Amino acid sequence: MADVGTLALRIFMLVVLLFIAIGFFWQPHDPHAVDLSQSLEAPSLVHWLGTDHLGRDLASRLIVGAQSSVLAIAIVLVSSIGIGIMAGAAIAIGPGSVSVILRWLAETVLTIPTFVLALVLAALFGAGLMAIAAALIVVTWAPYALSLAALFDRLRAEQYWQASLAMGSGLPGALHRHLLPNTLPVLGALAGADAGRAVILVASLGFLGLSADTGHPEWGAMIHEYRMFLFSEPRLILAPVFATTVLAFLLNQVLDRNADV
Amino acid sequence: MNWFAATRFAVLPVASLGASWIAVVAVSFLLIRLVPGDPVEIFINHMNVRATDELIAAYRAEWGLDRSLFAQFAIWLQGFITLDWGQSFVTGQAVTAELFPRVGWSAAIGLAGFASAILVGSGIGFLAALQPGGLADRLSRLFAIGGQALPAFAVGLIALWILAAELQWIRPFSGGVVERLLLPIALVAFFSIGSVSRLVRAGFSEVCNAPYMRTALAKGLGRGKALWRHGRRHAAIVLLAGIAPDLAWIIGGTAVAEIVFGVPGLSERIVAAVAERDYPVLQPYIALIALWLVLGLRLIAVLRRSLDPRVDLGLEVGHG
Repeated sequence: MADVGTLALRIFMLVVLLFIAIGFFWQPHDPHAVDLSQSLEAPSLVHWLGTDHLGRDLASRLIVGAQSSVLAIAIVLVSSIGIGIMAGAAIAIGPGSVSVILRWLAETVLTIPTFVLALVLAALFGAGLMAIAAALIVVTWAPYALSLAALFDRLRAEQYWQASLAMGSGLPGALHRHLLPNTLPVLGALAGADAGRAVILVASLGFLGLSADTGHPEWGAMIHEYRMFLFSEPRLILAPVFATTVLAFLLNQVLDRNADV
Repeated sequence: MNWFAATRFAVLPVASLGASWIAVVAVSFLLIRLVPGDPVEIFINHMNVRATDELIAAYRAEWGLDRSLFAQFAIWLQGFITLDWGQSFVTGQAVTAELFPRVGWSAAIGLAGFASAILVGSGIGFLAALQPGGLADRLSRLFAIGGQALPAFAVGLIALWILAAELQWIRPFSGGVVERLLLPIALVAFFSIGSVSRLVRAGFSEVCNAPYMRTALAKGLGRGKALWRHGRRHAAIVLLAGIAPDLAWIIGGTAVAEIVFGVPGLSERIVAAVAERDYPVLQPYIALIALWLVLGLRLIAVLRRSLDPRVDLGLEVGHG
């Protein structure tokens, strides 16, 4: 991808993040304020994206709707990277049996369909962000662990690694200097893909009508709520659809520096 | 020792297949049973009857809930295999009667979607390897990025909106073949074409630089013909080595496609079962999906082994 394109993507991403961040404190209108006299108004300067069938401001609902996705991304990334780093270290330097079991576990969970797992967990523990996050974490820690272990294995064979240890630098220092720079692009690409998956899964379950709290706007739940307006007022559906798509796409692309598969 | 060889090649794979399936099903069974909430109470609440102690005890005995977990699992497993899947908590109907008419739709969409993704993806991948940087190569990269970064339901809804509202080519939710089969299959395939074509391209590209390719070209074979003749086996091996995640995708993709296009398949019923905690409907669904995954992964392993004997020796081919 050309540098100009990458830069444009990053700027666009920043703008989107800024909008989401501001949305935590301020929205153009109260996203919950029902006003039936203003239902289904066309986009205007007052209502940027118009209003829905209950007269609620669509833009405000869209901005607040991002918060579920952001929360899911945060939970999934922190947990899966944390677990992945620990498991990867255990595979790379742990005793043989631990390493074999963990590697088998990592390869096994990769075949679990996240979508079905999220459905099952939603049935067991109630629909909501935690079910979705848990379903993703069960699967997403594995690629971090496997690629970290592979990187570390390769590093151990390198002369500069052995030299750095021989010169007396401690393991943490050597890891910081030699493992981290090699790891960050890989972690970034995985994290971008996982963040995108989190956004998509949250919206997918919401779209199926399985979001936790129907009172709080969430993009998938909005699509579910507005589904009968697909042909009469497509704006109501297309706004959250494009929001989900753009955020998932940006997360995938911006964090993935070696986007050429 | 002929019988021994026969046992090894016929019985052992089936046994290990069954073992992995039972392991998955047992874990899900245990998970469902460990969750707070007594199935009998859920059932009686749904039936709107007053729960007397005798009634609860009678149902517990009938469903075998007074026995050990292991015995319960054995009863359930026997029921599943003999096609007695119990009755829904919510509707009170036999689960088999509810799910069987729906399985066909889901299986048709999932399998046809998977097959079309492999066909189209392999074609694009081959053309991409033949001309790196060409149209097919860029197309396959677009499919790969789109398949990873776009939400399936969003693509389906936008397709529905364009076809039905803007172009008016189809009447929405009329239940026509186009809408119930072609569009869902296309949607499922769309998300797998990218990964298939990248894998196939990688496989063919590795062959491009092999000495036997140069020999074939020197003998006067055309580039496309030579690549197809000498590369297809290797491309298939690389594809098989990387296709496993798509087996899982097919499940979720089929579910989303069914809901978007209003197909009367399994997913609609399963989503309702999830919302109502209707475990007797959910449990056979999990068992069916586990069967699809276990069979699919085993089929992949068998095909890889027959195409590439090095897999057995642990000398697997790298792909990148």
